[in-house]
Amino acid sequence: MNKQRLRPPGAIAEAEFLATCIRCGKCSQICPYGSIKTAGLLDGPIMMGTPFIVPRNKPCYLCMKCTAVCPSGALKRSVRKKEDVRMGLAEVNKKECLAWQGTLCRSCYDECPLFNEALLMDKDLKPVVDEKKCVGCGVCENVCPLDTPTIVVKPGGRL
Amino acid sequence: MKLRTSRRIVQISSLALFVIIPLLNKAEISFVSGTLYSMAIGPVWITDPLIGMQTILTSLRFDGTLLLSMAVPVSIALIAGRVFCSWICPQNTLSEWVDQAAIRIGIKRLFPSTAVPRVRTVVTALVLLAAPLAGFPLASLLSAPGIITAQTAQLIKEGVVGAEVVLIAVILLSEFFLARRVWCNTLCPVGGFLALFRIPRTLRVAFAEDETRVCGRCRSCVDACGLGLDPLTGKIHPLCHNCGDCIASCEDLKGEKKPLQFRW
Repeated sequence: MNKQRLRPPGAIAEAEFLATCIRCGKCSQICPYGSIKTAGLLDGPIMMGTPFIVPRNKPCYLCMKCTAVCPSGALKRSVRKKEDVRMGLAEVNKKECLAWQGTLCRSCYDECPLFNEALLMDKDLKPVVDEKKCVGCGVCENVCPLDTPTIVVKPGGRL
Repeated sequence: MKLRTSRRIVQISSLALFVIIPLLNKAEISFVSGTLYSMAIGPVWITDPLIGMQTILTSLRFDGTLLLSMAVPVSIALIAGRVFCSWICPQNTLSEWVDQAAIRIGIKRLFPSTAVPRVRTVVTALVLLAAPLAGFPLASLLSAPGIITAQTAQLIKEGVVGAEVVLIAVILLSEFFLARRVWCNTLCPVGGFLALFRIPRTLRVAFAEDETRVCGRCRSCVDACGLGLDPLTGKIHPLCHNCGDCIASCEDLKGEKKPLQFRW
């Protein structure tokens, strides 16, 4: 229950986010992809009403409409460019990743919205996350062809 | 148009609006968005002052945009009293309907009147303190208008409603069987907080008799009050939310000048 959730773009650090989010639901209403879900009672009364994203179901496509409508600053309104988002950080499970295990696969690399910046291919064609550039949108996690994604976004606002 | 008719039209439009907004948003038309926690109408942002205050108390941050968006409802309350409650709030609309149904069916409620002053102010203070002390956003979970509009939006967007709606059901059932209009009168923190923004010049229902305005003590205003208040006592504030039903019932009587009026 207390597992941290991936927050929408522009989210401030989790403890601050929980104190600042007024649970109005505007970000989820404005999201054109239906990526932003709303936590319910089963997520705990403190989480209830807060927005979150499950990238495996639907990642954030970084259209940046939600930061613009947040009334409380839980999603920083100053974050208007996708490059500035730090909602989480992608991590590659090198033991399971097809590319790292020698099969040709570049699904995550091809789909990353910050193409060839946040996710790079090393000289052996293995995907490597640039922790300074990765925004945590979860598109890579969404497109990973394996049943259990081998690239996963670790939630946590880093703004 | 009669006051009562105008109010009903605004109330029903308000209910409809919070179904239309999520539908528009779903169709990617978003000049108007949000719920009664916080909404945006074009460039004008409006946030429930109670919810904004809770955020300020817990985060200890003074966000200019948040403060500005709280100023809109605060100004309306300072000028016109709690017309939000009586004309806009969907919980009040539902509670009024449930109350009228109970009266029509003839339900004898355990507490026929809940017009107790000050209880709501204490409840509001406790609810607001829960956020900074226990890190628990109690005000958000007890904002009936917020819950109704946010859950409607969630139903339209995601196809599910959260457990928050249980509160609305509990309120309506309690008011139907147990205590007449107990939520608005004694428990609602949204109304309790808005009621703090009152000055002597705030619009109010005044009972004033003189040679030209004579009250026949018919008590039709007392029957008309949906909150169970007695306008003849002159002590109906801050519970009175300026719906104007008592004034309308007084105006229904023959004659021109009536002792019940709206006064600034």
